[in-house]
Amino acid sequence: MDRRHFLRVTAAAGAGLLVSGTASCATSASSGPVAQTAGTATIQSNLSAPAAKAAIEALVKAFNDRKGSQASVNTVASETFRTQLPSYLTSANPPDLFTWYPGSLLKGYEEKGLLLDVSDVWQTMGDYPQAFKTLSGRVFVPTTYYWWSFFYRRSNFQKWGVTPPKTWQEFVALCQTLQSKGVIPLGMGAGSDSPWTASSWFDYFNIRINGAPFHRELLAGKQRFDDPKVKAIFTPWREVLPYTDPNGTAIGFQEATTALLQGRTGMLLTGAFFADAAPKDALDDIDFFRFPIIDPKVPLAEEGPTDGFFASSKSPHVKELKEFLTYAASAEGQEVYIKNSSGTILPTHPNAKDSGTPLVQKGRAHLKEAAEITQFFNRDSSDALQPTADAALIKFLQQPDQLDTILADWQKAAQQVWSS
Amino acid sequence: MSRRVPPVLLLFVLIPLLVEGFWVFWPALQGFWLSLTNWDGVSPPRFAGLGNYARMLEDPVFHTAVTNTAIWLVLFGGLSAVGGLGLAVLLQKERRGVGVYRAALFVPVVFSLVATSLIWQVLYQPGGLFDSSPLADPDTALYAVLVPALWRQVGYVMVLYLAGLKGIDPGLYEAATLDGATAWQKFQHVTWPQLRSVNSVVLSVIVIDSLRSFDVVWSMTRGGPYHSSELLSTYMYATAFQSLKLGYASALAVVIFVLAFGVIVTYLVRAFREN
Repeated sequence: MDRRHFLRVTAAAGAGLLVSGTASCATSASSGPVAQTAGTATIQSNLSAPAAKAAIEALVKAFNDRKGSQASVNTVASETFRTQLPSYLTSANPPDLFTWYPGSLLKGYEEKGLLLDVSDVWQTMGDYPQAFKTLSGRVFVPTTYYWWSFFYRRSNFQKWGVTPPKTWQEFVALCQTLQSKGVIPLGMGAGSDSPWTASSWFDYFNIRINGAPFHRELLAGKQRFDDPKVKAIFTPWREVLPYTDPNGTAIGFQEATTALLQGRTGMLLTGAFFADAAPKDALDDIDFFRFPIIDPKVPLAEEGPTDGFFASSKSPHVKELKEFLTYAASAEGQEVYIKNSSGTILPTHPNAKDSGTPLVQKGRAHLKEAAEITQFFNRDSSDALQPTADAALIKFLQQPDQLDTILADWQKAAQQVWSS
Repeated sequence: MSRRVPPVLLLFVLIPLLVEGFWVFWPALQGFWLSLTNWDGVSPPRFAGLGNYARMLEDPVFHTAVTNTAIWLVLFGGLSAVGGLGLAVLLQKERRGVGVYRAALFVPVVFSLVATSLIWQVLYQPGGLFDSSPLADPDTALYAVLVPALWRQVGYVMVLYLAGLKGIDPGLYEAATLDGATAWQKFQHVTWPQLRSVNSVVLSVIVIDSLRSFDVVWSMTRGGPYHSSELLSTYMYATAFQSLKLGYASALAVVIFVLAFGVIVTYLVRAFREN
C-alpha cells in the first residue's frame, strides 16, 4: 500500500466517522426531547399506534384552534419512550408534558422532585370521582381509561347454547360444556412478545380472593409472593388450566384475538383495546362478562388502567401546560380525543360522552359498579417487576406442579427489584 | 534521516482519533465506571465497589445467561464456520449457475434480523413446522432461535471464505495434483494453511457476532420462556431498560467485553507467535 493510498483511506475513514458521528447525533436529537419554542407547551407522546396518534394530534389541534396558549406534540415509539423517560426528565431542557399512567414509577419521580405539582388543574376537575384523585396524587391528570373482562362472541355463545356465568361454579361449568362441544374454552396469548397478558389472570384471582388492598400491598413489596394467601389463588387457577388453550404460552396476543374471533376459543380475558383490531362486522357481535365472583365477601374490584399526562418540574411553560391539562381534562377535550381514536376507550370526565356503542356503554357501567379500581400488574407495581411476573406465571402455566419453587423464585427476583 | 511529519498527515491521524475517543472510548470508560455503581438513571449513581460483580455470582439468571452464551458461542460460531467453509469450498469453482446459489445463500444476510425473526416466528407457529411451538418450550427455545441466526451467518462466513479461496495461487493446486494428492490432502495441505489469515478474520467476526447476538433472540423470545433462552446480551438489555438497574447492566456489559476481548486476543497472540 503506498503512502498516497494510505492517506486516501485514512481520510475516507475519518470522514466516515465524522459523518456517522453527526448522523447519530442528528437521530438522537430527533428521538430525544423536542426543541423548546417560546410560549408553546411541548408534549412528548408514546401514543405511536395510528389511532391513538391521530387522537392526540386532534386534541392538540382543537386546543390550538381555541387561540389561547399553544401546544405541540412529538410522538416517539413507545419502547423508545419507556427506555428514554429517565433521560428526558433529567435533561436540562425536558419536554413540558408527557403521556403516561399513574403508578409507582411516577411516585418515584415525584419523590425526586422531577414532576410538576398540578393540583390547581385539579381545582377545575371537581366532578371527578375520588378514585381518580387518589390514583393521580398531585402530579397526574387522567384523561382516558379502559376495562378488562372476559370477551366472547354473542353469536357463538348462542350457537353453543350457553350464557355468561356470574359465579366461579358457573364459570367452571361453562368451561366443561364448551370443552364437550370441541371448543377450547379459554383463550390465552401469553407467548411471543406478550407474556405480560398472563398477569391479568394473576391480578384478577388476587383481587377476587384477597381483595384489592392486599393486591396493591403485594405489588408494592409490603407482602410476599410466597405467602400462603398468594399460593391460595393458584388453586382455582389450576382448576381451569385443563380448559385453557394448550398453545396459550406459544402464541401471542394477536393470534389469541384471532382465535377468539374465529370461534376456535370460547372466551378471552383481555383489555377492551383488543376490539380495535377486530373487523367491523365482528364488532357488533362482541360482548363481555366480568371475571366471575369467587368470594362474595370481597368488595368488587376491576382492572381499569388509566392514561393521561404529567408535567416536568423544570418546564418554563407552566401557564401554557396547565391550560392544556385543563383542556385535556374537560369533557370537551376528551370528546375530541375519543371521537378521533379507536373508540373502545372511556373518558375519565364523568360527563364526557363516550363513543356511544352498546359495548362501550356497558364497559363504563361495568367499571362504575366496582368499589375498587386496580390498574394492571406493571402499573400497580413497576415495569421492573413485570418480567419477574412473566417468568413466574409462564412457568406456572407450563409446570403447575412446580408452584412452591416458582413462588420462592418469584419472591427472590422481586426482592432484587425492590432492593435496588 | 529524520523527516518532519507533514501537518496534514497529523490532522488525518488526530481527527479520527478524537472522534473515536469521544464516541467510543469515552462512553466505554464511562460504562466501566458505571459498573462500579448502583444507578437508576435518575438519581446520581452511588458507588458500590465490586458489589455488582459479587452479585453475579449469586444471580441464577446470570448463570443461565452465561451457560447459554457459551452454548451459543460454540454452536453459532462452530456451525457457521464449518458450514460457511463447506459451502465456500463447494461453490468456489466457477460453474454455470453457481452465482445463483451463492446469491441465494447470501440473501439472508441482507434481511434485517428482526424481519428474519418474524418469518421464523410464523414458521414456528403451533401447527406450522411443528405441532407445538419450539419457542414456547424452555428445553428447545434457545436452539429454535439459533437456527435463524445460523441461517443468516452461514451465508456471511461463506462469502468471507470464498474471498479467501480466490486468493490462493492455482499453481499450488497444480503442483499438488502433479504429486498425486487426493482432494482431502489438497484441502489439508494447501487450502487450509492458505486460509490462515481469513480464519482469524472469521474467528473475530463470529466471536463478536455471537456475543452481540441480541435482536434475533429479543424479537423471538425476549429471553423467555422464563429466562431459558436468555443470553448475556438480552439479560443486559432487560436489566438496563426494563429493570432500570444501569449499574448492574454495565457490569454485565463489561463481562461481555472481557469475554470477546479475551477470546480474540488469545487467538491473535497465538497466531502472531506461529508467524
